[in-house]
Amino acid sequence: MKSFLQKRAVASAISLAGLIVLVFFLSRLTGDPTTLYLPVDASLESREQFRELHGLNDPLIVQFGSYLSDLARLDFGDSIRRSEPALDAVLRAFVWTLQLAVITMSLVTVMAIIVGSLAAFHVGGVFDRIATFFSLIGASAPDFWIAIVAIVLFSVNLGWVPTSGTGTVWHWVLPVAVLFIRPFGLILQVVRGSMITVLSSAYVKTARAKGVRNRAIIFVHGLRNAMLPVITVIGDQAAALLNGAVVVETVFGFPGVGKLMIDSILQRDFTVVLAAIFVTAVAIFIMNIIIDIIYAVLDPRIRY
Amino acid sequence: MTHIYGRAAAILLASTIAGQAVAQDTGVTVVLSEELDLVDPCMSSRSNIGRVVQQNVAETLTENFPEEGLQPRLATSWEDMGDGKWRFSLREGVTFHDGSAFTAGDVAHSIARTVGDQIVCENGAKFFGGMTLTTEVVDDLTIDITADPAQPILPLLMSTLTVVPSETPMDSFVDTPIGTGPYTFDEYAVGQHIKLSAFDGYWGDTPEVTDATYVFRSDSAVRTAMVQTGEADIAPNIALQDATNPEMDFSYPNSETVYLRLDHEIAPLDDVRVRKALNHAVDREAFIGTVLADGTLLATGMTPPSTLGYNDELEPFAYDPDQAKALLEEAAADGVPVDTEIKLVGRVNNWGNVLETMEALLQMFQDVGFNMELEMNEVATWDEYYSKPFADDRGPIIVASQHDNAKGDPVFSMYFKYNSEGLQSGIKDEKTDTLMAQATAATGDEREALWRELFTHLHEDVVADVMLFHMVGFSRVNPRLDFTPSIKTNSELQLAQISFK
Repeated sequence: MKSFLQKRAVASAISLAGLIVLVFFLSRLTGDPTTLYLPVDASLESREQFRELHGLNDPLIVQFGSYLSDLARLDFGDSIRRSEPALDAVLRAFVWTLQLAVITMSLVTVMAIIVGSLAAFHVGGVFDRIATFFSLIGASAPDFWIAIVAIVLFSVNLGWVPTSGTGTVWHWVLPVAVLFIRPFGLILQVVRGSMITVLSSAYVKTARAKGVRNRAIIFVHGLRNAMLPVITVIGDQAAALLNGAVVVETVFGFPGVGKLMIDSILQRDFTVVLAAIFVTAVAIFIMNIIIDIIYAVLDPRIRY
Repeated sequence: MTHIYGRAAAILLASTIAGQAVAQDTGVTVVLSEELDLVDPCMSSRSNIGRVVQQNVAETLTENFPEEGLQPRLATSWEDMGDGKWRFSLREGVTFHDGSAFTAGDVAHSIARTVGDQIVCENGAKFFGGMTLTTEVVDDLTIDITADPAQPILPLLMSTLTVVPSETPMDSFVDTPIGTGPYTFDEYAVGQHIKLSAFDGYWGDTPEVTDATYVFRSDSAVRTAMVQTGEADIAPNIALQDATNPEMDFSYPNSETVYLRLDHEIAPLDDVRVRKALNHAVDREAFIGTVLADGTLLATGMTPPSTLGYNDELEPFAYDPDQAKALLEEAAADGVPVDTEIKLVGRVNNWGNVLETMEALLQMFQDVGFNMELEMNEVATWDEYYSKPFADDRGPIIVASQHDNAKGDPVFSMYFKYNSEGLQSGIKDEKTDTLMAQATAATGDEREALWRELFTHLHEDVVADVMLFHMVGFSRVNPRLDFTPSIKTNSELQLAQISFK
């Protein structure tokens, strides 16, 4: 396992280094940020002063060398937009995204496994049809539309929860609910499909013939073997959330890393873009390692 | 069971008390369209920073009102000493939020910081470019400010300069601004909210609003929903399609003017007949109430009608496609290459429905015979067309732009837009330069008359641009407030001007 982790860490570090080089040069290709930060009426002198202050007049290769030497000290530089260390801005936002992702994916995982397993047990039954119908709608409905409709219905018309923002537990209800819908629909379908395969296998039939109770068949014997593809999809969905739920963060005013990254790209705040990519890449690397470990726990045949 | 009834009664009582607390609440919540990157007072010419900081936290020496004109704020009077020097007498008994006394030294420091080169302050870049300011502290409450070249409107320019204590660092932006305003800056939870509260030591009248919370939502529908549900009290700058509640929604001129900048150096735009044809080709009225809001005004000049010297008597060019075609034919007969392809350049997200506006304009130009293509760009690429230096090998280019002037005087616009050396000027016209210099140097009625003459000259003789619209903005206000948004809401939101019904 130790050797496996070392290999994965080296491979991830190489990927990350390549990514940072690529993003550094690609982001610079988007142009000079001066016009975005200064008013269009700003004089040529002011524009020149801005470029000089932020090192934008240096040749690109000099900027890159300077960036690498700072990065060696884990100094990502200061945000042009916010006038603070880029890493501080990213980590502050990432904490919000991480909370949102953990809460949402925990709920999604538990609910999708329970509902998907029960749906698979009576394929074609009423419960299966209802679950399939709503999961397909959930997996295909656009986040933005659901978010606005949820605000109008539950906040404006019914007054049950706040429209947006942070501060109380009630502020989390709508963002988590909206984020929940799509991965829930998707993972439920994977659980259902995987469970149908497992429940038709010989060892499950044997268990049934021996009179093992349904609950034990589903959640003890069936689920463990059905979980490997499910874990893969959960990991994929969690990675998407760790990259930031841009639409939900934007609509509900959640100060997460997705919105920060999009704003920084649009504003050409290069240091923040690179810091955000670094932090999310490291988080996804760690998550993938955890998933690999879970594989090994669930299936003793898998050894690293 | 008694215990249960007791708890129910306690909850009811608590709800009642909470309800009363809400009814007596003298705090307000303002929902802004974007999170503030910076809160430094020297960046207050950015709309949302200005709405939080300007005159609430940090004040200016003077203050300009559309109706009353220039009024004292931290300066009580000012006098032209000649040769570009102005003497400002400062208000006595003013203290900063940190308890230090407000003196002329603070004004000198604020000026040096705003126009200095250690940080790029937007107020300095926007209002004090192309001039050198020097200060001389006469005594604690008197300061001489000299502008080179001389600025007859220096007192007006001082309505843009926010004053901070002399301890404020020269080489970095502050994240907890200190000023002399009626509110102290208490907290900025980045990504969540900003909180201000009334300053006990304020020199002026005690405002009714005791504290304010600013939150940030980029979606206009969410901002309006927040006011609708009572979560917020004011949502400045909401979208046209969300301004659906006549009891809460206000429209007002937002000081923005939309126009098409013509490049007079390149044929066929160098011919006045072609420029007139462009103007006659546009059915301006057709936009209002369709892709643009009702209440949008037709423009004949670069600044809003409330600006000094704006000539109300000028008529927008009539929509007359036949005359446009005739003008083009006449120009073509004289050898003007009217069939040259013209690039019409727009900027994404420049104003609401900008793409629809640009596509309609393109169609109107093509209908009268112009050979034109539309190019929509994000701001940086767009600015390469809009601002000098222009490309030497360029073809004929028309750039759509929206310009903001809420300061009440054309000087903030005209040099950039029409002077031969102006950063975004498409013309080089000697008479325009002369009139501009004269108007800038003049004061009072003479100044107004000269600006008026310049507006007329640009519109009727030069036909400098295709002037289009003076835009309107929308804000939603909770009915519990006695507050009417105005043209100034575009750049500031003075909490002290808000009261409760």
